[in-house]
Amino acid sequence: MTLIWGGLALGAVYALVAIGYNIVFISSKTFNFAQAQLMMVGTFVAYTGLVTLRLPVFVVALMAVAAVFLVAAIEERVAIRPVKEPEAVLVTTLGASMLLDGVTQLIWGPQPLTVPFFGSDDVMSLFGGQVYPVEIALILLTVVIVVALSLLARRTLLGLALLGMAEDREAAMLRGVNVRRLAFGAFAFTGALAGLLGLFVGPKTFAVATLGASLALKGFVVVAIGGFGSIPGTLVGGVIVGLVEALAARYLGSEYANISVFAVLVVILMARPSGLFVRTQERTV
Amino acid sequence: MTLWRSLRSIPSWIVPLCAGVVVLLLPVLGLDFSTGRQIQLACILALLVSGLNLSHGYAGELALGQAAMYAAGAYTAGLLSKAGHTDILLQFVLAAAVALVVGLVSGIPGLRLGGWSLAMTSFFLVLLVPDILAVFAEWTGGRNGLSGVMPPTLLGADLAGDAYYWVVAGVTLAWFAIMRNLIVSRHGVAFRVLKKSPVLASSMGISVFRMKLLAYAVGAVPAGLAGALFVNLDLYVSPEAFGFVTAVTVLAASILGGSASVYGALLGAAIMQFGPNQASEFQEYALVFTGVFLIAGGVLLKGGLAGLCRRLVSRLDRAAGVTTAARNVSADVPDIAGATLAIDGVSKTFGGNQALKGVSLAARPGKVTALIGPNGSGKTTLLNMVCGFYRTDSGTITIGDTALQGLPPHRVARAGVARTFQTPNIPEGVTVLEAVSSGRYSGHRASVFSAILRLPGFRRVRTDDLVEAERALALVGMSDLRDAEATSLPLGMRRLLEVARALAARPGVLLLDEVASGLDEDEVERLAGLVRRIREAGGTIVLVEHNFRLVLDLADEIVVLAHGSVIATGPPEVIERNPRVLSEYLGIDGESAEGRAKVAELTGGGEITGTGESA
Repeated sequence: MTLIWGGLALGAVYALVAIGYNIVFISSKTFNFAQAQLMMVGTFVAYTGLVTLRLPVFVVALMAVAAVFLVAAIEERVAIRPVKEPEAVLVTTLGASMLLDGVTQLIWGPQPLTVPFFGSDDVMSLFGGQVYPVEIALILLTVVIVVALSLLARRTLLGLALLGMAEDREAAMLRGVNVRRLAFGAFAFTGALAGLLGLFVGPKTFAVATLGASLALKGFVVVAIGGFGSIPGTLVGGVIVGLVEALAARYLGSEYANISVFAVLVVILMARPSGLFVRTQERTV
Repeated sequence: MTLWRSLRSIPSWIVPLCAGVVVLLLPVLGLDFSTGRQIQLACILALLVSGLNLSHGYAGELALGQAAMYAAGAYTAGLLSKAGHTDILLQFVLAAAVALVVGLVSGIPGLRLGGWSLAMTSFFLVLLVPDILAVFAEWTGGRNGLSGVMPPTLLGADLAGDAYYWVVAGVTLAWFAIMRNLIVSRHGVAFRVLKKSPVLASSMGISVFRMKLLAYAVGAVPAGLAGALFVNLDLYVSPEAFGFVTAVTVLAASILGGSASVYGALLGAAIMQFGPNQASEFQEYALVFTGVFLIAGGVLLKGGLAGLCRRLVSRLDRAAGVTTAARNVSADVPDIAGATLAIDGVSKTFGGNQALKGVSLAARPGKVTALIGPNGSGKTTLLNMVCGFYRTDSGTITIGDTALQGLPPHRVARAGVARTFQTPNIPEGVTVLEAVSSGRYSGHRASVFSAILRLPGFRRVRTDDLVEAERALALVGMSDLRDAEATSLPLGMRRLLEVARALAARPGVLLLDEVASGLDEDEVERLAGLVRRIREAGGTIVLVEHNFRLVLDLADEIVVLAHGSVIATGPPEVIERNPRVLSEYLGIDGESAEGRAKVAELTGGGEITGTGESA
């Protein structure tokens, strides 16, 4: 059970990255390679706030939200908006991710930093397994965010505008949706969210400059399994990836962890090419 | 400008060849060791990038597994060397073969998936390289790397220093010659057709499955060669050489150089090798530098450096007035062996929606059969069933004696069905002439091998392709546009281009899907004249059309669809008086005086084509 908790918490972290990918994908049909790096910056800001400056949690949360919001906003303006070709966004957001990796390394150094969890760091027992409070918090937080975003998408005008935009940009524009502003807003929102999540992810993964690279790919696997643009899909994808990774590492050996995740990914995609939660359209001419 | 004109009159492949010879000669001119090594590494990187360009830039398959194939090639060559097989030629052959296997395996998901999912799985494969090497640590040395590789030999002679430099540069030069020959051939155009749309490719008789496999396979070969070259350069490999950084460098070089270009790979590789990779001396700033570099490159360069060069060349061309003269070709319609298309009792349901209910019709050679009906009546669905994009629920479709139902689209196309699309579907980055000649790709074959080596068989097919394409272009009156970029044409021209492309295939049955919409009067007239000539030449034409006057004017037989069923069949003079057709299709009550006046207005005169001879 300890293993299951660990796997679920890991899956929750991946799912949180995947949610960021999906929001950007829904709103601008682009893919932000640097999403995981934004979360990484959040963990470092959390470290600085909680450990170096010893600020209260509430202030640190605000600080992290503001800082990563700003980074995301700058990234959108500099590396996404001016790019004319969709495939070049791959390169520019990749550039942004490397830039963030490099800058965090320069500021905070290459050593992993321990981010304390503001709740409690004591191991507790739950359903016959050992689990850290932060792991429970991560799992709950992911579920809450997924539910909240799903409700937001269905029940509010803003959510409907976003979905409409994802369906057909031009039609949304004609309906009076300010597509560019909405896309920018959604992007900056993922930044703010990533900043907040830094407080929760940091205690689980440490704040380290290679965090972005290791989260980015798994986040992508979660998106691919759940389906592009599907927020509920990230939950299921996260559970699958987290558990497979934890179980394979434990029973097969650490070098099989990624290989197993890859095998699961390929099997799922072969059965459902566009993921578990997105239906394939019969092709039309 | 005169200088530019004379420069342009020499064949374009001379320039890269000269550059290649200069690079080959550098050691003679005195080249220090570290620059020589950088050039060799740039060559190796260029080989990797070139493979990615082929599969991604041309075939549109975002398969990022180059680094995994590179690793496969390197370890194959390294293990051969350790086993005493130091001959570089043997290593090349086996490294390329193993890389090819890895390329095909990593491409398998791409046969089902597209876009991001393929990018994802192939990229993931790259990150698995260290894990897989660790699993086989006994042979590969795991994370410690493979050491004890022997110096390479060529036919018994030792390769060291300058000699090895020449091998690296020579292999690179040879590969780019192969790549160039492949891309400018009909196969290069076929790759771009696949990139534009798998639907288009299969409707032209190109097997999407085989074309994708071809792209993965050919793209893997240079990666395997690069691996063999790399391991013999340092006589040591470790998993770090094939990780995330390599994969990212290859992708960045591809996009910076221009992914849809042959020589862009060389430019991009040179920039990445002499730019960011040099920055490793300032290790801590390397990531920052690379990041800024990628953002700037991606924002500023559209179509990469190759795109920049191409725009510059075309601007200079315009300034200097460089043109290629259109050849005078006869605009005769060749004899077309039309075939009878018979549709019998075809039904199709989508979910609960019955799109077609027992539809039967026959289109005969030397006749124009028009298919009309309101929007949503099932016209395009029927065409898609004929083309094999949808499976029939019941009923049969035959062309001549061949049953089409159940065949995949590319087999239907090869059976002699050619079509145009409601929204013109034209690949990017090809000229009008190339786009038209691509219609002949599956009907008149020449192997990839003969294209690379320019064998006589290939040359013969290429000459025929040109002649036929020019004739088809002349038929639609677009000969003067032969060298224009196909996608830059206005809508009406693109429609006519599709007709020419379909015609170039000399199809047994020609399906024209709303081909007159968006055409101006002059173009409609040209089209109508062409359709009549194809009919006289013996072609079978199925015309799906909303322009009622044009239909009355051209058709020998009209089939009217409504709500998925045929409600009337007959010659135009019968159909235009059928009350049910008038009420369903035109929304007119044929009995009232007002309605009759409207009918007269809609059908009368036949002004568009003047004579109305077909009636």
